[in-house]
Amino acid sequence: MGSAGQSHGLITARDAGLVACQQCGQVHPLHARICKRCEGRLRSRDEESLQKVWAWLIAGMIAYIPANVYPMLLTSTLVERSESTIIGGVVELVEYGSWGIAAIVFIASVMIPVGKFIAIVYLALSVQRRSIANQHERHKAYEVVEFIGRWSMIDVFVVAILSALVQLDTIATINPGIAALSFALSVIFTMLAAQAFDARLIWDANRTRQ
Amino acid sequence: MSDPTPTGPAPFDVRPVKKPIWQRLSLVWFVPLVALAISLWAAWQSYADRGTLITISFENASGITAGETVIKYRDVTIGEVEDVEFSEGLTDVLIHARVDKKVAPFLDDDAQFWVIRPDVSVRGITGLETVLSGVFIEGNWDTDADVAQTQFTGLEQPNLTLANQRGTRVVLRADDGGSIAAGAPILHKGIEVGYLEKPELSFNGRQVVVNAFIESPYDRRITSSTRFWDTSGFSVSLGAGGVSLDVNSLASLIEGGIAFDTVVSGGEVIRDGHRFDIFDTEQAARDSLFTDPNAEVLEVAVLFEESVSGLAVGSEVRFQGIRIGEVSNLNAIVVGDGDNAQVRLQAVLAIEPSRMGMGSDATVEEALELLSDFVTRGLRARMVTGNILAGTLFVELTTIEDALPAIMNRTSGDFPVIPTTDSQISDVAATAEGLLARINALPVEELMDGAINLMDSFERLANDEYTRATPAALVALLDESRELIASDDIQAIPRDLRDVIADLNGLVTEATELGLISDIDAAIATAAEVAENIDLATRNLPQISANIEAFTTRANELELGALVTSATASLDSIDAFLGTDDAVAFPAEANAALSTMRALLDEVREGGAVENVNAALASANQAARAVEDAVSTLPALAARANELVDQTEAVVNSYGERSRFSAETLATLRDIQEASDAISSLARTIERNPNSLLIGR
Repeated sequence: MGSAGQSHGLITARDAGLVACQQCGQVHPLHARICKRCEGRLRSRDEESLQKVWAWLIAGMIAYIPANVYPMLLTSTLVERSESTIIGGVVELVEYGSWGIAAIVFIASVMIPVGKFIAIVYLALSVQRRSIANQHERHKAYEVVEFIGRWSMIDVFVVAILSALVQLDTIATINPGIAALSFALSVIFTMLAAQAFDARLIWDANRTRQ
Repeated sequence: MSDPTPTGPAPFDVRPVKKPIWQRLSLVWFVPLVALAISLWAAWQSYADRGTLITISFENASGITAGETVIKYRDVTIGEVEDVEFSEGLTDVLIHARVDKKVAPFLDDDAQFWVIRPDVSVRGITGLETVLSGVFIEGNWDTDADVAQTQFTGLEQPNLTLANQRGTRVVLRADDGGSIAAGAPILHKGIEVGYLEKPELSFNGRQVVVNAFIESPYDRRITSSTRFWDTSGFSVSLGAGGVSLDVNSLASLIEGGIAFDTVVSGGEVIRDGHRFDIFDTEQAARDSLFTDPNAEVLEVAVLFEESVSGLAVGSEVRFQGIRIGEVSNLNAIVVGDGDNAQVRLQAVLAIEPSRMGMGSDATVEEALELLSDFVTRGLRARMVTGNILAGTLFVELTTIEDALPAIMNRTSGDFPVIPTTDSQISDVAATAEGLLARINALPVEELMDGAINLMDSFERLANDEYTRATPAALVALLDESRELIASDDIQAIPRDLRDVIADLNGLVTEATELGLISDIDAAIATAAEVAENIDLATRNLPQISANIEAFTTRANELELGALVTSATASLDSIDAFLGTDDAVAFPAEANAALSTMRALLDEVREGGAVENVNAALASANQAARAVEDAVSTLPALAARANELVDQTEAVVNSYGERSRFSAETLATLRDIQEASDAISSLARTIERNPNSLLIGR
């Protein structure tokens, strides 16, 4: 594999007896504990990284179940009172012909979280197995996951804004359901999982084998 | 090639000692554990709190939506419909719903469910909230938890009576359900105290049975002697007091209504389910104090050969003159078969055993035994005229002394049959015929004979020798008179007369002195007034005399026979009188009378009567005044009578066919009718389409 070949010639900071600050990038000797520039904590490798990733990930997955089972929005108007779950809302939107909005909701609320779960599981498993394949791709995937994680909050923001705006007493009222809270928790947990993942571990695999 | 050759010792494989897993465990693991715990707890909680699943079957599920329609109990939501499906064979709609676990134990066999939809009726609009929120299922049950059930059959109509509502439910029976509608009010002294539930046909299909609910505390007004009657609609009565129009509440006008009252005290307290009859009018209800609707009724049949027109369902059945029941059914049946087949008119008599003197606990069988015994002893049924003008009949059970032996037929037919006897039907035509027959039978011939006899007697009297001798006796009398006049005594009379005149002169003087003349004047004036008043009264006489004439005519008509008889008798007695010696002696009596007159003149001559005359005149004066007073009221009386007659005439005229009053009355009635037609058509329209009230179409 090309990346494996390329990595051959690379040298890590640890190999060089250095440790880089993850916040500001300042390089210190290996034994340094505090970044002298930003006073961030210096760690060459986070040994508990995988544990944290798994813990946050499982918590996020647990939170994702009620997020889909319970209603996201409680809409009560003069005429009717309706509760819609995430998937139910998507189906409803499709039925009304709003394909675009349905796609946005589906991507933001279903595809991205599920994709994140899969990506993080894959990353964590590959690090645990010390796989040396696709190191560059995996690193990119990690960056995408970390970047995109916050956009899952779109749904929560929509619910929050609607709930705040549409409070017209008997005529129309929108309230957040249990799913909104658990969905927000799920997103937060997966974001924490992504953050807890120490991307440097991807590259350690071939080192320790040598 | 680029591999570096090893120059130093081989690098050590330095690996840190793996710590035991519990030391390497991060605290972060608490997060998923807590999340899991919360999730599991929430899941268990919602499972544990899940309501009991019940199934209600309805004929139609109009407006019921799974997940939206709720179940309410006393306006509190206690459950929600989860699923709507058809039962096997599509006979019913099954509604699966979850109800609160706390409520579920109370759903026993008295639980009822019905769907609340908007309802617009004369009595108001109900269920308006469901127009916006959609229908909901309302349930009702009492607060006793018996054996809980999960399968229920829903009511198609809302149950008007809630299980925990306090009051009394009675059963009302009527012959006609036209004036009874579910929800119609029950009135007591004009206020609404209850309502009717849905009317149904009785088991045998003859009556309409309806449950009525009377709310507490008004139900205490109901005893076993309470009577219910129909108050629906309005009634117009035309009587001596004018026209009276009775209209009850608008609701009762359209939906019908039932009123009750306890007319006499002493009734027993009733329980739920007591049966009452509905009477057609208040009057009928009040008149029927002695009818006990709960008494067992003995039904027997009577087969009449003749027409039963005039007999109707409800006609009285009397036993020895006492009402013991009524005719409950009339129909024609064929008796015999083949050539012997005959159509008989069967009247079914409903007889209350207690009325036959058997005591209140007598059974139908005992009564039947008694009747059967009576029949063998000559009891027969017959139709008797009740009212000549209306031609109504009633059935009388009476004992015929020499009746042909008969027994009660208890085997054939639906009812035991009481044998009949000749009916006593008299109608108007027969009565008129009887009158003519009586006139025919009058002894006119005998009257003529009597008159002829009278004439003969007169003739005989005229021809009598004594009668003929009378002129001679008169001549003798004249002679005697002449002698008398020639006599000294009579000659002396002028002198005596002169004395009398002198006396009279003195008397007049005396009278003048006493003011007698003015009294006389006053008396004369009064007499003149009296005459005038009498004259006035006399002018009214023609009417009175017309009345008298009419009266006389009637009297003549009525008493013709007797009169003729008595006239004949009196003529006979005159005849007899004329034939007696006394009549013959009459001329002699006349002579005697003349002498008496003379004696009287002598007495007058003796004087001393002046005071008497004076007193007599005074009292005559008084009498005249009294007469005057009496007479003076006559014109007034006559005038009032006239006035009364005029008014009567005017009233009578105004009731005439083309008068304005009746035209207006008719127009008014037509208007009322049209109005009520319009209201009922509106009510029908609204009933068919309650939405129209809201959307205006």
